[in-house]
Amino acid sequence: MLPRRCTQGLCILGILLLAWAVILDDMAVLFAGSTLVAVIVWQYLLFDHQLREIVASIEVRRTLSRNPVRKGTSLQVSSGITFRGSPRMQVEMADLIPATTTLDDGTTTIAARPGPKPRTIECTYRIIPLIHGTHNFSGISINVRNHFFEETILMTRPMDCEPTLTVLPTGLFAAPVSELADGTRDNRKASIWSGLDIHSLREFQSGDDLRHADWKISAKYDKIFIRKYTAPMSYPPLVIVDLPFVGAPFREKEFGRMISEVTGLIQQNIQTFQYVSVLIISGPNILHLIREERNGARCMAEIREWMHPAERTVHFYHMPDRSDIRSYTRNCESALEQATDPGVLAFYESLRNRYLAVLQYQRNPAFSGQVARTLSQILTTEAYFFSLGYGDISHIRHVIRPLKAQKIKVHLRIISTAPMADIDLLENLKKTVGVRP
Amino acid sequence: MTSLAPEYRFFIALAAGTVLATAFLASPVWYLTIVLLVPVLAVLALARTRPDRGFYLMCSGMPLVIASAGMNIWAGLFGACILAGMVVSAAGFIESGEDMVIFALFCSGLFLVALLIELSNHVLSPLIIILGITGLVLAIHSVHNYQFRKHYSGG
Repeated sequence: MLPRRCTQGLCILGILLLAWAVILDDMAVLFAGSTLVAVIVWQYLLFDHQLREIVASIEVRRTLSRNPVRKGTSLQVSSGITFRGSPRMQVEMADLIPATTTLDDGTTTIAARPGPKPRTIECTYRIIPLIHGTHNFSGISINVRNHFFEETILMTRPMDCEPTLTVLPTGLFAAPVSELADGTRDNRKASIWSGLDIHSLREFQSGDDLRHADWKISAKYDKIFIRKYTAPMSYPPLVIVDLPFVGAPFREKEFGRMISEVTGLIQQNIQTFQYVSVLIISGPNILHLIREERNGARCMAEIREWMHPAERTVHFYHMPDRSDIRSYTRNCESALEQATDPGVLAFYESLRNRYLAVLQYQRNPAFSGQVARTLSQILTTEAYFFSLGYGDISHIRHVIRPLKAQKIKVHLRIISTAPMADIDLLENLKKTVGVRP
Repeated sequence: MTSLAPEYRFFIALAAGTVLATAFLASPVWYLTIVLLVPVLAVLALARTRPDRGFYLMCSGMPLVIASAGMNIWAGLFGACILAGMVVSAAGFIESGEDMVIFALFCSGLFLVALLIELSNHVLSPLIIILGITGLVLAIHSVHNYQFRKHYSGG
């Protein structure tokens, strides 16, 4: 509780009088000083009583123009605050918008005087959510003052922070149209045409479409035969998202961009292929697999839930895998064949022996097996790997290698171009694994 | 006919009480209390629109309270109660019967302070008691205040 200017003056006057009373040993001055102390305490207790009355009577009711809402789009909030109390108090209320939103239009602060009967005041404003996820309002801030005191109280009870604003991520990414080997593009539109080639023939069964009857064969065998068609089928690309480590620095803007791209690709896949598969990892940790999800809203809800920096229980610490070490060993051996200097020879021999020793004891990590088992559940011909590219990225090889082994085309999308990313390692990764960036 | 504002009524009571007390006590410096009523009236009239009117009134009234209490502690008590009433009514805090009850409680507390001072021989002992009680009240209140804030901040 803060004393206002009038009370500050009274406090100073009271202290001066009491000091004067002590110095002069004057009972009359002591009484005058005590009167001031009593007045201040009286007003303090009175203010506190009236403040509690006002705060206890406050009820907040917020209405959102729409919920859920997409990130970056504006929505209107109408807040009704009901309160009552002493009309001697001036009340200023501020509706605190969620921390992850910005005020677009309108004002969130209302000044009013309470009355003995409950009174409702309303404010309407527009906010823009900046980050996806579920966000609560931050509550309300109440500033109460009279001639003597002033107090600000932050009300953040769950009932003061309702309703929960659900913010959906926005899609900003579109995958390029894949091309078949003969140069034609596959038709991704849903069609009533059941196929191009005849897969087999079988006898007519009740309920079969007579338009599929092969009349020539039917006439030959005096039975109705039905053609079973087949057609080339395209699978949606697998989306792999590598979430940043919660304990390491990363750029929020780039993370937001990555989420937008992932969301865009997911939406496009659902529209085109009617389902989507998303593998969410964080370093060498598999967090979640959304497998062949057909419901866009449900998929977005899962994305909203998972798309945050994650804890990593396992770290690789720039660990090369066995094939890398074999490659290093081969490089050493070729260098040994060309070297003539005894010092250089000794160096490469020592290095090769070290690599061989490492190779002898190093086994494939559990993560590789987990990735292989996870990928075996999914039918796909393309995969998009999204990563910020910060810190250790050696786990990316362990994901890309099994994909390449299954002849799945991999698109590696490293979002970061900042110095925080290990650019050399990334370039090396792209060259070694042979992925198209 | 416009009714008199509560602070002016308090001033009339203060002036009447001071004159009567001065006459009754037959103080050799009787003119002092009468003269000290003038600044109170002047501030009351001139500081009507000022936001810190209460502070100015208290500053102008304190010499009167000291002079009255110098004559007799009970005359000082009367002056202090009426002055406090004038200050809070100028802030609009004495309007209803409930406010008068609270004001009466304040006057009772001030009476106890006056009684304590009357019974004491030196300044130090009543000062320690008054400040001790004030400190205790504020300490208890600060605990309640903390619990109150914690409840409303969702803690």
